[in-house]
Amino acid sequence: MSTSAREQYGQRTMSFLPFIPASAVLRWRRQRPTTPGRPFRPRLGLALVALLLVLAAGCPTARRGGDAGPNGTTGQRTVIRFWNGFTGPDGKTMEALVRQFQKENPDVAVEMQIIPWGTYYDKVTLALAYGGAPDLFVVHAARLPEFASFDTLQPLDSLYASSEPPVEADDFAPVPWKASFYQGRKLALPLDVHPIGLYYNTRLFEEAGIVGPDGKAAPPKTWEQFLEAAQKITKDTDGDGRTDQWGFVFTFQRTNYLTFLYQFGGSLVTPDGKRSAMDSPESLAAAQRMRDLIYKYKVAPKPEGVDAWLAFRQGKVGMALEGIYMLASLEEQKGLPYAGAPAPQFGPKRAVWGGSHLLCQPKGIAPRQSEAAWRLMRYLSDHSLTWAAGGQVPTRVSIRQSPAFARLTVPYQFGTQVDWVQYEPLTPRSNSLFQFADPAVEAVLLDLDTPENAMRDASRRINQLLSRP
Amino acid sequence: MKENPLTPLPPSRGGNGVPATDSATGRREAALVPASGTPFPRREGGRGVRGPWNDNLTGWLFALPHLILFTVFLLVPVVYGFYISLHRWHILTKIQPFVGFANYQAALADDIFWLALRNTLYFVVLVVPLGNLVSLLLALGLANVKRFSTIYKVSYYLPVVISIAVVAVLWRWLYNTQVGLLNLYLKAAVDGLRGLGLPLAGFEPIPWLANPSWVMPSIALMSIWWGAGGNMVLYLAGLGAIPDDYYEAARIDGANGWQQFRAITWPLLRPTVLFCLVISVLGSFQIFGQSYVLFAPGSGPARSGLTLALYMYLQGFNQYEIGYGAAIAYLLFAIVLVLTAVQFRLFSKREDYTPR
Repeated sequence: MSTSAREQYGQRTMSFLPFIPASAVLRWRRQRPTTPGRPFRPRLGLALVALLLVLAAGCPTARRGGDAGPNGTTGQRTVIRFWNGFTGPDGKTMEALVRQFQKENPDVAVEMQIIPWGTYYDKVTLALAYGGAPDLFVVHAARLPEFASFDTLQPLDSLYASSEPPVEADDFAPVPWKASFYQGRKLALPLDVHPIGLYYNTRLFEEAGIVGPDGKAAPPKTWEQFLEAAQKITKDTDGDGRTDQWGFVFTFQRTNYLTFLYQFGGSLVTPDGKRSAMDSPESLAAAQRMRDLIYKYKVAPKPEGVDAWLAFRQGKVGMALEGIYMLASLEEQKGLPYAGAPAPQFGPKRAVWGGSHLLCQPKGIAPRQSEAAWRLMRYLSDHSLTWAAGGQVPTRVSIRQSPAFARLTVPYQFGTQVDWVQYEPLTPRSNSLFQFADPAVEAVLLDLDTPENAMRDASRRINQLLSRP
Repeated sequence: MKENPLTPLPPSRGGNGVPATDSATGRREAALVPASGTPFPRREGGRGVRGPWNDNLTGWLFALPHLILFTVFLLVPVVYGFYISLHRWHILTKIQPFVGFANYQAALADDIFWLALRNTLYFVVLVVPLGNLVSLLLALGLANVKRFSTIYKVSYYLPVVISIAVVAVLWRWLYNTQVGLLNLYLKAAVDGLRGLGLPLAGFEPIPWLANPSWVMPSIALMSIWWGAGGNMVLYLAGLGAIPDDYYEAARIDGANGWQQFRAITWPLLRPTVLFCLVISVLGSFQIFGQSYVLFAPGSGPARSGLTLALYMYLQGFNQYEIGYGAAIAYLLFAIVLVLTAVQFRLFSKREDYTPR
């Protein structure tokens, strides 16, 4: 497909018919001979065109804001479209923030669209490829290299440089700050960091006598403390010979594995991103330690049809490693005594998996839209304390150190880990690695395969993938 | 205005201003007028030239709405899909190089492709015979029900109407190892039998969706529940088409129920059976929604729920390698095409409706 064709799609004429641009149909119509000798054919053509037009009108084509003018403006107001996947309580927080922004910026109209994360990237990718991209959208830190490598993101260096008051790099946590660059260009404004952390059931801890000098439940910090706590909590409460209260559960295996892996000093791929590192000794040690929790120490259930998170919510599990974004589902669970703590250190290194929401603009965005979108980006970043109340850890150091943030107990606890957060590998093919990494981890935890075999198999596939042009 | 039937139409006065000699119609009519000048019968009230071309046109006009939809939404995408499959085509790349059949070669060398094919075949083998048996039994059971038969038919047909997404979410709860209804009932049943003194082992919860060897049977069970009503309706129609006289005659001859089924129902129902089999095979080869909703990305433990259609989708819209995805789609198409051809060969044999 040629570039000019692609530009045509960008004009959003009959976007449901990517193969037949409207102009082609019309040209065809014009070229038909309308000599009196052939009265039927032109009429046929006319009917065809009419039908196509009716179809086109009936189809929801990419819309650029209500009665917006050609440049996305309604009178004096600049219309910007903002896409994100905040379907949970965080979406409510975001809506409130955007509303407040609009009150303070009457010349900008924000059209926010919340798309569930499950289909979010499909939609963003298609919009970036075939037109209709929003003026502002959220990209996870680990997906930025992918979009950047296809040159679909607008460099923001000049906006950063001209912003008043200036954006101070010192005021951002270094990990997300670095992740918003690709090959030296600034492509995003990091909004938050969301590391996983340890949720623990304080009642089960107190019942098992795992308490500090103040008599309150004491979360484990090291592998030994973690294992001891898990062993004390794991038991058979109704005496039927089957364990029904567990010390720990694996909820989201991917983030749990990455945390173990990073703590053992491993990674999914080699530092140059060219080859798999899943069969490295570090990775095997991490997988073995996870596996041991289930099959050696028997403090975690086999992840076989266990709705692990539900079990934690029901108070049958002592500990789980989950994201800050799960906080809301615990808050609505009545009578569950829980608390949050930084992830324990299972391996020799201090590390934890985390993600970040980065705010990006599409490549080639009109200057006016870009400026308005940047104002909203700044606004969201400056008000990320409000955003934190929705369950995310702000990237801004000043906000994270404010007393108001410390009052948000669980986000504050999880937020202490921000400086040793590690994302998924920041390479263009990062997302594709998990089609092989996830099944390998699952096979290990389900005992379908030995760690060696499972990791070797995944490595072979990843190497195959990375060697593709 | 009536044409003068005696003279050949002058070139300038075609029905709608068509120069008669310009079209095939005109020429033929002129030729058909006998030399003697005997009038060639023409339809009364005709507006003008009415020949095969006009009839053709009418036909095309009737077909047009469907033709357009078919072209736009099926023919063009199908051809375009083949074009895509010959290119290395990531959704976001600006240039998509032509690679010939490299995507097909890659698929055939990809063991996950073969695994997905094996899973799909396993599903087809589980669902088609069993599902059709269930539908047939339901239809046989309902054929002679007189009272409230509509209620029964509707209630068995109802699952067909539900979207597969809803069905899968529903069954995910039924299949839950700890709190699922299925395991709960099975445990109650086993405990009850043990209470009666049967030497049964204690019930171990079945990991319906967590154990690789249980995954496909579980999906198949769910799909049979979902789809049995559809074929049941077809079987009921087939049964209804068998004349009652045959059964009457058989009963007079003293045939029992099984003999009646063997000698009358089965042979006369065979066209329906074959039709249902063809449809079921085609349908179950394209199994997608079940695994998509239950497992999606990795597609279940040890990829045991990964089917061809799902693998195609994941490659195309999860990895955005649409060239590769399109190649998988065409391989699936080829497999289904061959199978359909085989089945049509079987299907086209018409059953003799006279009892042997």
